[in-house]
Amino acid sequence: MARYSILRRTIATPLILSALLLAFALIAWFVGSRPFNQTVIDIFLQVVFVVGLYTFIGNSGVISFGHIAFACLGGYVAAWTTIKPMMKGTAMPGLPDWLMQMEIPFWAAALAGGTFAAFWALVFGAVLMRLSGIAASIATFAMLAMVNAIYSNWSSVTAATSSVVGIPIVRSIWPYMIAAILAVFVAWAFSISRHGLALRAARDEPTAAAASGINIPRVRLIAFVISGAIMGAGGALYAHSIGLVTPDTFYLGLTFTTLSMLVVGGMGSLSGAVLGVLILSSLIQVLRWLEAGVQVGASTFALPGGVQEIALGVVMILILMFRPSGIMGNSELTGLRARTEKPVEPGTD
Amino acid sequence: MGGLMQVIFDALSLGSLYALGALGIALIFGVMRLVNFAHGDVIAFCVFALLWPSVDAVAIIFAGNLPWFLLIPFTLAVGAGLSVLSEVVVFRRFRRANPATMMIASFALGFVIRYFLLMLFSSRPKSISLLPGLSQPVEILGARIPLLQLITILVTIAVLIGLTAFLRRTRFGLEMRAAAENFTMARMLGVRANRVIMGAFALSGALAAAIALILGSQTGTANIMMGASVMLMAFIATVIGGMGSLAGAVIAGFALGAIATVMQVILPPDARAFRDAFVYGAVILVLIFRPQGLLAARGTKERV
Amino acid sequence: MSLLALSNISVRYGRLTAVRGVTFTLAEGEILFITGPNGAGKSSLLRAIAGVTPPAGGRIDFADHDITGRAPEDIARLGLSMVPEGRDVFGSLTIEENLMVGTGMHSGTRGWRARAASELEAVYATFPILKERRHSQAGLLSGGQQQMLVIGRALMTTPRLVAIDEPSLGLAPNITDQVYERLIALRAERKLTLLIVEQSSTRAMMVGGRMMLMRGGEIVLDGDARALGQSEAMQAAYFGYGEH
Repeated sequence: MARYSILRRTIATPLILSALLLAFALIAWFVGSRPFNQTVIDIFLQVVFVVGLYTFIGNSGVISFGHIAFACLGGYVAAWTTIKPMMKGTAMPGLPDWLMQMEIPFWAAALAGGTFAAFWALVFGAVLMRLSGIAASIATFAMLAMVNAIYSNWSSVTAATSSVVGIPIVRSIWPYMIAAILAVFVAWAFSISRHGLALRAARDEPTAAAASGINIPRVRLIAFVISGAIMGAGGALYAHSIGLVTPDTFYLGLTFTTLSMLVVGGMGSLSGAVLGVLILSSLIQVLRWLEAGVQVGASTFALPGGVQEIALGVVMILILMFRPSGIMGNSELTGLRARTEKPVEPGTD
Repeated sequence: MGGLMQVIFDALSLGSLYALGALGIALIFGVMRLVNFAHGDVIAFCVFALLWPSVDAVAIIFAGNLPWFLLIPFTLAVGAGLSVLSEVVVFRRFRRANPATMMIASFALGFVIRYFLLMLFSSRPKSISLLPGLSQPVEILGARIPLLQLITILVTIAVLIGLTAFLRRTRFGLEMRAAAENFTMARMLGVRANRVIMGAFALSGALAAAIALILGSQTGTANIMMGASVMLMAFIATVIGGMGSLAGAVIAGFALGAIATVMQVILPPDARAFRDAFVYGAVILVLIFRPQGLLAARGTKERV
Repeated sequence: MSLLALSNISVRYGRLTAVRGVTFTLAEGEILFITGPNGAGKSSLLRAIAGVTPPAGGRIDFADHDITGRAPEDIARLGLSMVPEGRDVFGSLTIEENLMVGTGMHSGTRGWRARAASELEAVYATFPILKERRHSQAGLLSGGQQQMLVIGRALMTTPRLVAIDEPSLGLAPNITDQVYERLIALRAERKLTLLIVEQSSTRAMMVGGRMMLMRGGEIVLDGDARALGQSEAMQAAYFGYGEH
């Protein structure tokens, strides 16, 4: 009964967010221009990543710098399973035969990427989730660096630092929209599940939660695996959106962008995760456009490269300074008025 | 014999870099519980401060042409200055924030610094020749050791002795140690919070500059990412050393240098490229058994 | 002329109000005990005076300065020395280093080093055990010795007012006696003003002076310690009789 009522009370949030994403997709469909399509695809992918990040950080309060490693794992699964066998043979000769021959559709690659990432999240998480606070954050950073070091050097299966090309490009916006909406629903379902509620209780009142029998490392691990799966699937789709992968595609840059989107939106809020993506993506687009150069009268005005990241960093710092719990705080969009819990800053534990 | 000496010197010089980096991070963590992710970018900034802004592949040396007795103080001042500036402009406003918020803010600041460099210099690595006299080898106990390696080790030892004396013998050092242990109590005894924190940032920035000089001379390149790998190892060293413990940070830094060098030697050639991955893995394993670090510092409970 | 004057001070932690509308003045050389049950807001009041938790409302004057919302180090430098609850010694510093931390506030004034040295000798004369163990780590001292150390440390700054939070907490009665003996002697010697927080009024009745009783963040009684201590009003107020 209680479960049913919480479901009814909160279902509006994923529905509203899905409607928002659908609206973006429809705009892109009506406009119909290629560059704009690509932008909207990027936004959907960022939604997948940031929602994946939220699933762990938002519920556990532990800052992770390592989740993009799972996107990397997923992205390379897409490369391994969808590139034509002949091309794989030259770029990544070390692949086992069964993988070499494999050629599956992109959605299957996304599922495989998610599964592969979830498996490694389970392995890493079993170790990392025993840590807490700052040590946990730095260990996730070490995990990211470790995955990057391996993928940048294992030339026989990852082609080392050179680009792996030939991944079939999916240009339609709909698969990405569906993935983003699915991610939102998975994150929502987890957050109202028994484990999700237990994890948030542990985030806000660690001592009380432990005393009432919540096994904190275990619920954290569950969140870590689910978020890892979302990141992995997102990574695979990212590979299909641009047709190639390199280890550095999935490193500090993407970590920074996704984390800043989550911070700006509000780490404790699913709606915040989605809104953070929409707001910062718009800002990034405007800056990219200015970096490319704007015709002002007879002269072209262009911002130098790098301004985009600098602006993003400054926005992030300002938000942390003046509104550390982000735009949404800990509240969600419910259609009526924002449902507010006690607003908390990002936790240390 | 010569081979063994070579390994020992490699380990010591790599460990020196990690120890200096870890010290810079632990100093700031000690007084304000900030894990400063911008530290690595301060290192890169110090190297680029010696160049004239340009996006060409060939560096236009600017301050880098100074004689060494001016070059070194100049670089140290740049590091200290940038570090203090980051305190005044950014971190001062986070004094009452929790450590996680500060950590993310420093991550963002690091990106701002890095892309500021990218804007002026582009992301292409540039070749520079800094203190070129130091690349010639010297012979010690049958091993040919680059002079720079020897100087790196000696400089690090000198820095450690100097810093210890500073912390033990001066009033500022006393106030800093007191503040690191219990900041509020120190303030109630009249210790000026801003002065101590700015002092810690200045020292930390100067240490970053020292790393910049060593890295710049060692690799002969200026790269906006050059601080990143040292910084990550330095972080790990501070965690293993027990956040905030200066001695722990230094010991853990040297230990990491030794582990990395030994792995370089004993790993089969195919696996050498994965050296760092092995080191990170080893570190994660250490943290499981000693989550508080190997040498937990007193009074490092996160301040509320 | 009063040394310390609080008017309408309130302290809040989030939605919780710990101190509400406290007003009193303290004259130079006076000794004031603030007593009251757990959670009465005594420590919060001290923290507000010391500048650690800035008050949510009201005004605090100390030595002719408005110190409301000033930083703890500025307040300390005006001569208000705080000994917080829980004996916060710097455990990894030696005893002598602990004592010297506070003398830095006078650096730059003429002859401060000599004065610090003579203060150090004075503290050692008061608490000989500290001199004996001057080079050992403060964290290794017993509870009573740590209490002497924090009081000595507070005195090193040549303060005009010393505020002490529960000097007898966790100490054996005979050690508490010693600590109080020293405090009373010091007060006479240096015309110190003392503000002492204790949970029970027993000590205040023994020592004498002025006593205030706090309950629920407010001052409910204020008067002579010995007279108040024996009155039934005190008992009633402490335990909150007659409110239901």
